[in-house]
Amino acid sequence: MNIKIPVSWLREYLKTDVAAKTLANYLTLCGPSVERVEKKGSDYIFDVEITSNRFDAASVFGLAREAHAILSSQNIKSTLTSPKGINLNLEPDVAKHLALDVLIKKDTLCPRFAVIVVDNVKVKPSPAYIRSRLEASGIRAINNIVDISNYLMLEMGQPMHTFDFDKIIGAKMILTEAQLGEKITTLDGSTRSLPAGSIVIRDSKRLIDLCGIMGGANSRVSRRTKRVVIFVQSYDPVQIRKTTQALGFRTEAASRFEKGVDVEQIPAALSRAVFLAKQIAGARIASELIDIYKNAPESPKITLDFIKLNNYLGINLDPLAAANILAKLGFEVTKAENQLQAVPPSWRSRDIEDDVDLIEEIARIYGYHNLPAKLPSGQIPRSSESRLKDIIELKKALKFLGLTEIISYSIISRDLLQLTKTPTSQIVELANPLTEIWQFMRPSILPSLLQTLTQNINLSQNLKLFEVAKTYIAQKNALPKQDLMLSIVLAGADFYRVKGLIENVFEILKRPLRWQASSKNNPLFSPNQSAEIKIGEQVVGSIGVVSSNVTDFFNIKTPVAAAEINLTKIYQLPVTSYQYKPIPKYPPVIEDISAIFAKAVSVAEIVETIKKATVLVKKVEVIDIFESEKIGENKKSVSLKLTYQKTTATPTQSEVDEQKAKIIASLEKEFRAKIRK
Amino acid sequence: MRYNQRMDKKIREIISQAKEKLENVKSKDDLEQIYVDLFGKNSPLTSLTKKISSLDLSQKPKAGQQINKAKKGLEKLYEVAKQNTRYRIQDTTPIDPTAPGKKQEIGHLHLVSQAIEEIVEIFTRLGYSLQSYPEIDWDFYTFESLNMPKDHPARDEWETFFAKAKPDSKLGNQVLTPHTSNSQVREMQRVKNPPVRMINIARCYRRQIDVSHTPMFHQFEGLLIDKKVSIPNLKGTFDFFTQNFFGSDRVTRLRPHHFRFTEPSFEVDVICGICKGFGCRICKSGWLELGGAGMVHPKVLKAGGIDPEKYMGFAFGWGVERTIAMKTNLPDIRPLYQNDIRFLEQF
Repeated sequence: MNIKIPVSWLREYLKTDVAAKTLANYLTLCGPSVERVEKKGSDYIFDVEITSNRFDAASVFGLAREAHAILSSQNIKSTLTSPKGINLNLEPDVAKHLALDVLIKKDTLCPRFAVIVVDNVKVKPSPAYIRSRLEASGIRAINNIVDISNYLMLEMGQPMHTFDFDKIIGAKMILTEAQLGEKITTLDGSTRSLPAGSIVIRDSKRLIDLCGIMGGANSRVSRRTKRVVIFVQSYDPVQIRKTTQALGFRTEAASRFEKGVDVEQIPAALSRAVFLAKQIAGARIASELIDIYKNAPESPKITLDFIKLNNYLGINLDPLAAANILAKLGFEVTKAENQLQAVPPSWRSRDIEDDVDLIEEIARIYGYHNLPAKLPSGQIPRSSESRLKDIIELKKALKFLGLTEIISYSIISRDLLQLTKTPTSQIVELANPLTEIWQFMRPSILPSLLQTLTQNINLSQNLKLFEVAKTYIAQKNALPKQDLMLSIVLAGADFYRVKGLIENVFEILKRPLRWQASSKNNPLFSPNQSAEIKIGEQVVGSIGVVSSNVTDFFNIKTPVAAAEINLTKIYQLPVTSYQYKPIPKYPPVIEDISAIFAKAVSVAEIVETIKKATVLVKKVEVIDIFESEKIGENKKSVSLKLTYQKTTATPTQSEVDEQKAKIIASLEKEFRAKIRK
Repeated sequence: MRYNQRMDKKIREIISQAKEKLENVKSKDDLEQIYVDLFGKNSPLTSLTKKISSLDLSQKPKAGQQINKAKKGLEKLYEVAKQNTRYRIQDTTPIDPTAPGKKQEIGHLHLVSQAIEEIVEIFTRLGYSLQSYPEIDWDFYTFESLNMPKDHPARDEWETFFAKAKPDSKLGNQVLTPHTSNSQVREMQRVKNPPVRMINIARCYRRQIDVSHTPMFHQFEGLLIDKKVSIPNLKGTFDFFTQNFFGSDRVTRLRPHHFRFTEPSFEVDVICGICKGFGCRICKSGWLELGGAGMVHPKVLKAGGIDPEKYMGFAFGWGVERTIAMKTNLPDIRPLYQNDIRFLEQF
């Protein structure tokens, strides 16, 4: 949370000669960060970031207290003055005391409850200094009584509330837990239906306060109010938080109560409120002080070992200096030879638990900027690397193959998810999505890539895009499977272009791959133009031309070829090992052969048949495949380049002819192939 | 028989002479001369052809085939030589060096990948190893083991997405990790015996979007655990990183901050590259916030099965996008994930 603090107000409690900007700098280095210093007239306004553990500094006095500890530890002269009127004698000013009946149903709800009634109040606008200070902090001035509670929240960090005494029916305040669905109309005019367990105050008839969050409209102080109940308290932070979360409604008072307030400061805050009420509203104390405080928390005594302290600091700090720093921060310190013991001040009791907390206090006030910088000298562990470096190498290779990397959200819409036809049991859905477009964790990257293609299609027709990311498949009683995928889309390309690219990729990955037509094809691909990519028997990816249903969905007019491979699986499989093979001494004989086959015959089958027919052929390369009317329906012509090679000599023409005859015989027998002359 | 052998020999001679000549072609004229020599009226091949008529009938076809084959061979050799020569001749024609070249197509890496690569490179030099941990993880690793028990208000600081899934009785809900710190306890459990030097870079998710937040972003986590680790060690590590990543004049500073899983906790700032710490329009205070860091909380070490009496450590984490914005003066990080090709192709 950020708070705005006028420096002139700060200087009421902190007397020091340092300039505002210097002060801001010290606070930033050693305490709460002053994120901005804004000049306003002759004054400066600090915009201070308060972390959730340091609400003790979220007030003008709290920040002055913190600044004083910092400055005096840095040997800069400063003095701290308390707000006026915190130690009033709260005896009634009138002879006839008003009676107020207070009952707390459950002590843990409200650790401390302090209340006093004042009369003779003249409700009117506050003096100018109060109005302008409230407004500088973004709070609207209302009237002197209401303003006192807001002013004190800013000044001392203690939220409080005021009731019109005459509107509390039966002069009775019962602090209790609300029933589910009980209703209260709060000061802002909203009627709220409460969750069970909300802390509330009821008088003898009705709810009059939604405690710690906002008062009830029915008991508000108005212009006609004469008698006022000044009420200062603390609550169970967990319960306040539960209520604000359930209602989706949080006030500044609530955020302070959620963090916990300084219970020991409650009487001082009440006294200060009475002081101001007397000063600016002519009030008189009309009741006894009621201060219910049953279980004062025990402040822990924490031991800090000096060796441990200096291990953290990396220097040898004088133990006395360490003890002094804690004392300046308000700790009660006793120092022994090798260690010290410290009891935190009441305003830090929630934050300080262990010796490491003391180390932080000493280190920050000593100043992190005063510590040296030194690389760690310890041993470098022998750890198995993850695949991140391989992935970086792969991405770079893809870039040099002409592809452009995108990064898209892993959270997708229902529309995109449906394209993947993922079974319900495998879908990872968000329980609390932000919008409809981000509702599911994607099981495939391809829909996002296609979406990116659509988005850019008017800028470039032949985009080649890829993305590497985890995908998410739900599993029963376990975290979702989160395999790393590489997905590629090539606009305006056919199957063989993306296949060639995937072949390149597997050369980079140094893994052997196989292609297999399959009935369980990726639903994004056209059934006739897709395949599974395998290593051994394991499916590691799918490849194909994106089906027209899908391109129609994205309104893409060009054909798109795509592939998605599972890097997690692939990286787990062994790398092809390269073994030295002697370079042949004798040149081969290379001859071409063309034949007409039925269209259904695969290249792999043809190559396999040739290799089976003869051992003399060491390499079979496809140089051309074509179909035409001349060849006939459902036929294709395949031209192959055959490399005949021996280790002992160049094969003679008659050896080659003999083997060629065998090959032709096999092809004729297996496929009824017709050799073209 | 004898005749054929003689003819063979003759043909071989013709071919080897032709090869030699063709290798020494210097100009177009040379090439033309050789053509005449090889295939002209007075060429040796022509005179051989003429001799066929004087042969026995039985020898004629064979001789004809031999000569034809030789002729084809020579033509091939000549064609190759002619091609080579043509290039040599073309080489001398003047070119316009300002006309466009014929480039191979090169793609682009996303800015985030480029930043990750640089970060990884710097930290591997310091002996950190790269680890990868789940991006949807259990509540235990995301919050509970990081000293944030259930219902702790510190959890509110992360606007967390949850997955619809049955909670585990021990590990709790499935969470889209709002930070990479879920890797801390997982890494401690993996290594068991320190030293630990880990970096983990992952996608993280938070329920927010504005100029400096996207619901998905990349975070970078570092963890070092050893027998003796000090705050100056963390300062040294940050100086090493920022000087290598942003430039040698960029120093860092630590500011007190609060995280439940580190104690002391810091926010790490880098001095502004524009004003060098004096304060300007970009940085306002002279410093730019890089990320969070701190000394690993003893409770977190304990949750990871490491004895806090024997070991201590530091951890740090920051957004990769943020470092990019700081380095490139990108005013809005959302374009990083809008994937406009005109943006992607700039890098």
